[in-house]
Amino acid sequence: MPAAEQLLTFLGLAVLVAPFVPLAAFLGAALAGRTLSERTVGGLIQGVAWSGLIMASAAGAVMLATGTPWHAIELGDWVITADYHLKFQFLLDVLSLSYVVLTFVLCSVIAAFSTRYLHRERGYARFFVLFSVFLLGMLLASLADTCETLFVGWEMVGLSSVLLIAFFQDRPAPPRNGLRVWIVYRFGDAALMLAAIVMHELNGAGDFDHIVGRHAWPEHDPLLIGPHFALLGVLFVLAAAGKSALAPFSGWLPRAMEGPTPSSAIFYGALSVHLGAFLLLRVSPILDSAPWLSALVVGLGLVTSAVAFLSGRVQTDIKSALAFASLTQVGLIIAEIGLGLRWLALIHLLGHACLRTLQFLRAPSLLHDHHQLEDAIGERPAPERPGWEDRLPEGLRHRLYRFSIERGHLDALLDRLVARPFLALFRWFDARERAWSGFLEGRSGRTDDR
Amino acid sequence: MSGSDPSVRPPKGHAARIREAVARAAHLLPAQGPIGVFIHHNTLHAFENLTFDDAVRKGAQVFGCEPFLAEDRYREELRRGRILFSELREVLRQDLGRRSDETLQGLSTRWELRLAMLEHPLRMGEGPELDWLMAESDALDRARPDVSEVSRRRLVTATRHWVMCRLRSSAPEQAAPEWAARLFRRFQEGRMEEWDDARWESFSLAVLWEVCVAGVSRAAERVHVNEPPLRHRDRLLAAGGADSDLLVHEHLVRFCGAFLDQGIAHAELPRRDEGFFKSFCRLYADGRGSAAWWSADLGPILRDIERRGLSPEESLGDSLAALGVQEEETEAFVAASLLALKGWAGMLWHVEQRSDRVHRPVPPGTLVEFLAVRLLLERLALRAVARDSLGLDLPLTELRDELWLMRSAAPEDRDKQRAFLVFQLAQVLGWAPESLFRLSPSGWTALLLEIEGFSSFERRRIFHLAYEHRFRVQTLDALALSAARRSARSGRPSFQAVFCIDEREESVRRHLEEVAPACETFGAAGFFGVVMYYRGAAAADFVPLCPVVVRPAHWVSERVERSQEREADRRRAHRRRLGMALRGFHGGSRRMVGGAFFSAALGLLATVPLVMQVLFPRLSAKVRSSFGRFIEPPPATRLQLERTGEAPSPHEDGHGFSCAERLAIAERLLGDLGLRSEFARLVLIFGHGSTSMNNPHESAHDCGACGGGRGGPNARAAAEILNDPRVRSGLRAKGFTVPEDTVFVGGMHNTSSDDFAFYDTDRVPSSLRQEFDAARAAVEEAARRNAHERARRFGSASLGLDHDEAKRHMEARAEDLSQVRPEWGHATNAVCVVGRRDRTRGLFLDRRAFLVSYDPDCDSEGVPVLSRILGAVVPVCSGINLEYYFSYVDSPGWGSGSKLPHNITGLLGVMDGAQSDLRTGLPWQMVEIHEPLRLLFVVEASQDAVLGVMRSNPAVRAAVANRWVQLAVMDPATGAIALYREGAFEPHRPAVAALPAAASSREWYAGWRDHLEFAEIKPPAA
Repeated sequence: MPAAEQLLTFLGLAVLVAPFVPLAAFLGAALAGRTLSERTVGGLIQGVAWSGLIMASAAGAVMLATGTPWHAIELGDWVITADYHLKFQFLLDVLSLSYVVLTFVLCSVIAAFSTRYLHRERGYARFFVLFSVFLLGMLLASLADTCETLFVGWEMVGLSSVLLIAFFQDRPAPPRNGLRVWIVYRFGDAALMLAAIVMHELNGAGDFDHIVGRHAWPEHDPLLIGPHFALLGVLFVLAAAGKSALAPFSGWLPRAMEGPTPSSAIFYGALSVHLGAFLLLRVSPILDSAPWLSALVVGLGLVTSAVAFLSGRVQTDIKSALAFASLTQVGLIIAEIGLGLRWLALIHLLGHACLRTLQFLRAPSLLHDHHQLEDAIGERPAPERPGWEDRLPEGLRHRLYRFSIERGHLDALLDRLVARPFLALFRWFDARERAWSGFLEGRSGRTDDR
Repeated sequence: MSGSDPSVRPPKGHAARIREAVARAAHLLPAQGPIGVFIHHNTLHAFENLTFDDAVRKGAQVFGCEPFLAEDRYREELRRGRILFSELREVLRQDLGRRSDETLQGLSTRWELRLAMLEHPLRMGEGPELDWLMAESDALDRARPDVSEVSRRRLVTATRHWVMCRLRSSAPEQAAPEWAARLFRRFQEGRMEEWDDARWESFSLAVLWEVCVAGVSRAAERVHVNEPPLRHRDRLLAAGGADSDLLVHEHLVRFCGAFLDQGIAHAELPRRDEGFFKSFCRLYADGRGSAAWWSADLGPILRDIERRGLSPEESLGDSLAALGVQEEETEAFVAASLLALKGWAGMLWHVEQRSDRVHRPVPPGTLVEFLAVRLLLERLALRAVARDSLGLDLPLTELRDELWLMRSAAPEDRDKQRAFLVFQLAQVLGWAPESLFRLSPSGWTALLLEIEGFSSFERRRIFHLAYEHRFRVQTLDALALSAARRSARSGRPSFQAVFCIDEREESVRRHLEEVAPACETFGAAGFFGVVMYYRGAAAADFVPLCPVVVRPAHWVSERVERSQEREADRRRAHRRRLGMALRGFHGGSRRMVGGAFFSAALGLLATVPLVMQVLFPRLSAKVRSSFGRFIEPPPATRLQLERTGEAPSPHEDGHGFSCAERLAIAERLLGDLGLRSEFARLVLIFGHGSTSMNNPHESAHDCGACGGGRGGPNARAAAEILNDPRVRSGLRAKGFTVPEDTVFVGGMHNTSSDDFAFYDTDRVPSSLRQEFDAARAAVEEAARRNAHERARRFGSASLGLDHDEAKRHMEARAEDLSQVRPEWGHATNAVCVVGRRDRTRGLFLDRRAFLVSYDPDCDSEGVPVLSRILGAVVPVCSGINLEYYFSYVDSPGWGSGSKLPHNITGLLGVMDGAQSDLRTGLPWQMVEIHEPLRLLFVVEASQDAVLGVMRSNPAVRAAVANRWVQLAVMDPATGAIALYREGAFEPHRPAVAALPAAASSREWYAGWRDHLEFAEIKPPAA
């Protein structure tokens, strides 16, 4: 039915174009030397988010009504050589549309929340510029049908996340923590970039359907066996690990709680932190190519979940406690993906994102809620302690507590084993270079340009 | 606060000295307690014994915060007329006194110099910036734009004369200076007579600059009192190293959080009961201790401490020795180290001192133990950072001195900066280059000393005085004029309403008087004399409802009427079940399996409350409350006010007050109000409180007189006590005649949603029904108008709202999760009037005045009532006022900065973002519209009476004499006002003859969002 197909293409493109509207308005205003009023910005963002939600839902409804399992939107090739091509292509299917609808629901609510929450804040417009970039990135990443398209969206999400972590620039901690998150993200991004290159080497294209075949998600061609696919799988898992704060990268997630509450809610409670899981869902057929790869994913998920759960138990501030609670579930979702429970993982992901967003938004009400609960129960809630812990010997309990309060020592290990050796190496290079240039210029000793 | 030194163990030499040093340093720490009960207090309480000026100077030094607003901010206020230039001149003259007319080196008087420095922002540049300014800007071509035409011409003419007559012709008695030849060459001196005006201006400025540079170089060096910082870390930073505190704090904040947590974490810190030090040692003593790169030695060090059985004090002594801290600097070093993490240290100290304020107290001596741990970590971090970032591998004892030698050298061209100052001042003050040229070196030294002596601090101090002066003049004028036209009472009022003294009630009272012109209103501290621990029917625990300085000795509970007890039990059981389920859900969602179940099975349902609460806050609150009605306690309740048992106790039969105690409460309340016989048939008493969502600082909006609690129960109790016939007969004996037909009704005002609740209305006799209904309608109308007046202050409420829309807006605000400004709280408070309401009735005070009822005619000899009122009101109101002052002038410093990244920790306070020091003080979103002014007290009493109170009450005297508050008295007979200054009263003469007038409050404030002048509200009919 070409009419339905055209309608779907139109709706899909409209959804993608939507975030460009506020971005264009910001850019135009900046070029014209004008500042947009709070009311305009808020109205624009909310309008875009709500209309996007309606269009995405409409697309879903059309697909359900016509029984279309998937619909691809091609925007043509951008580069074609003899060996490969770069293509912008988007895919509407149950996975991408669920994630897009989730994105729009949460973004609409958060946009409404933020217009009031950030009222009179100096960075009001900046917040919403980044918010639009984030929305665009999420849409690109979730609708992407080629690895390179996904990469573009992935980068936008990363960049806007980091800039929002560093939102309060006049204190030193937010930019510092933002930088740390940025470095971890770069690591995951590099893995994704390599994955794209490997895909091109394998198939001459980054199109997902070239490897998994054109089927309704989550079904796929069963013929994905070989070391190439395993390598690809490992790269995807690494990319997902960076983005979703899986072990050993988990340390960045609580540090990301520096931004305004609504951005923490949507990024680290809901959308951004699940993007890794989404990627694995998208490429899940590759994970099936080798049993050890699935096992790796399951193991990574469970370890992350366990470390996050243990760390979360000892957190004494509400945002870190929620961050680790999020991570506990993200780990489980990853494990479910590894086990091949794709539908369960998707539902788990959607439900968790909504629930956690609500909890994050209500985080400043903690005292209020705590007091009400206390009154209702009629006594002070006793500290909860799972029964198993009491049965441990004391020494072990101490070690467990220390492991938890140090957040599984993950950050410290990354610092010691990766960051500092890396820095030391480059400082050594620096020293060698100075020595050489000094020698070549005929000077002796160390030259200091500080 | 009962801040006594904790004597843990018998003092023995060194340990005792350390404990004392810590206890003394602890007074500098923020005194804010757990945030659930927010009590306003003077941020600079540590320096209360100093005068305000000295205290802010000292405070700014010790805490590194701003004492006043920025200079530019004051100049902005000067431009828009909030500070008047004429008053600034006066204030400056008064401040200088006799020294103002002394002439400085024959150039200007001191007063002129300082005025010029206030008026003209002088540019300061450091080294390269200054060079750039000289080279690239037109500083040497054109006179400053703010130099008057006259001064500019004078400069040119004088220079011209000097140059042509003296320098150029080079009179034989003196040789031309070296720079003259240089300038002549540059400006082509040969054609000097053809130079145009612009060239002369540029030449004159060049001459002036050279004169200044030459002059400054001849003057004596400025003596720099640059004390090196005590802490190694500060010197490490100065030497260009990394910040060791980053490492220490990451560790320490986590541990402090775990140690102090009151119920967020699911797992408790092991061996918490054994104290901070022991529990830390035990936790980190195994293995390496910590995996971080810099603290590999932590484990061995702690094991060594455990093996040697060192006490925290001994370990602290060891650390001080290892850090090379000398005996005489110990105290200062301890203070500086504690202040590095002042929020957490302050909270530890507070919890240690006031174990009654938390559920999980900490043992005495915790702060010492904290410091011991801190210095242990600091030793490791300092060595590691010094090695890592500066390549210094030295013992810590030597490190400190070595670091100070490494610091970047002071800029050499400080002379140029000083010359630049004089250069600018010479322009605006019209100092001729020749006069400067002729100054002797000692003259230059004296001049520079004079200029530099009027520092930024001093300039801002003067600005601030002028800023306060303007407001004071306006206020006193308004009060004097309003008092002069007071009208006599006529007949029995239709009803009387007693409110809290809170300045937020000023507008409600005014509107109520506009709605019901025959009523009377009063203001009394919002606990209404009822000092109690109170437990509501649905509450788990008793809360203190009284000023924070008092510890209640009585317990009062709310009971469901006997007929409904069974229903109440049923509902309590439901509440409990629901509460347990909710707790299970909240806790479970943070666990693995529970979280998986909840999020996969129920997660999507969370969108419903999410969307509802964010988009329709008011509607969702209504839905919630209508469901809540099924489980709330039945509405028919009463207070257990009459004690059956002998002694008061928290047990059932110990609740309530004895008859004599109730009589004392009634007598005190009526005495404060000055109500002896003129009672209306209906007297309403309103407590107040505030509800808001997503607001960790919610309690800061509640009643200060109830110690950060909600004052409804106090009002209810006071009304019931006053209705008691036994109390009334007792009152009659004391000279208070409450007529038989008078009925008291308690109520509660929610200051954020502007809802009014009335208690025990069933007991209003039917003969009074009609009057009560009329009064209630008037109160509700006043509430709507009040909401409307408040709405003008909120940018998100349109100015075109009508009363009902405004009321709905306020209700939504109180329920909105995304609203960071549910109400403005005490912001804009500036005045406190103690006196009869007819002095201020009909005066629009813009919600800025605490209104305390006091009738000087009803007070007896020796003014016991005034003494008692001022003794309570001065500390409480000035505490509120000063907290707002400091949180406003330096929000990130004294206050807690922006609320947006706040993160509740341990149920005790808030941090910024993921991890930071505990943030104390008020967040910016609470104080944004405040004007930082010291509270102006206006007391309707004779001068002698007020001086007498000051003599007998040291707290009041200190606050007034040290100028933490301003004080004026209003003559009870004439209404004339006199201002307190230096121990005596000076009469205030109104500068205006009449106040602006409006027919209603709304007419006066409509359409305007900013502060308003005080105006007279004259209804057209009257």
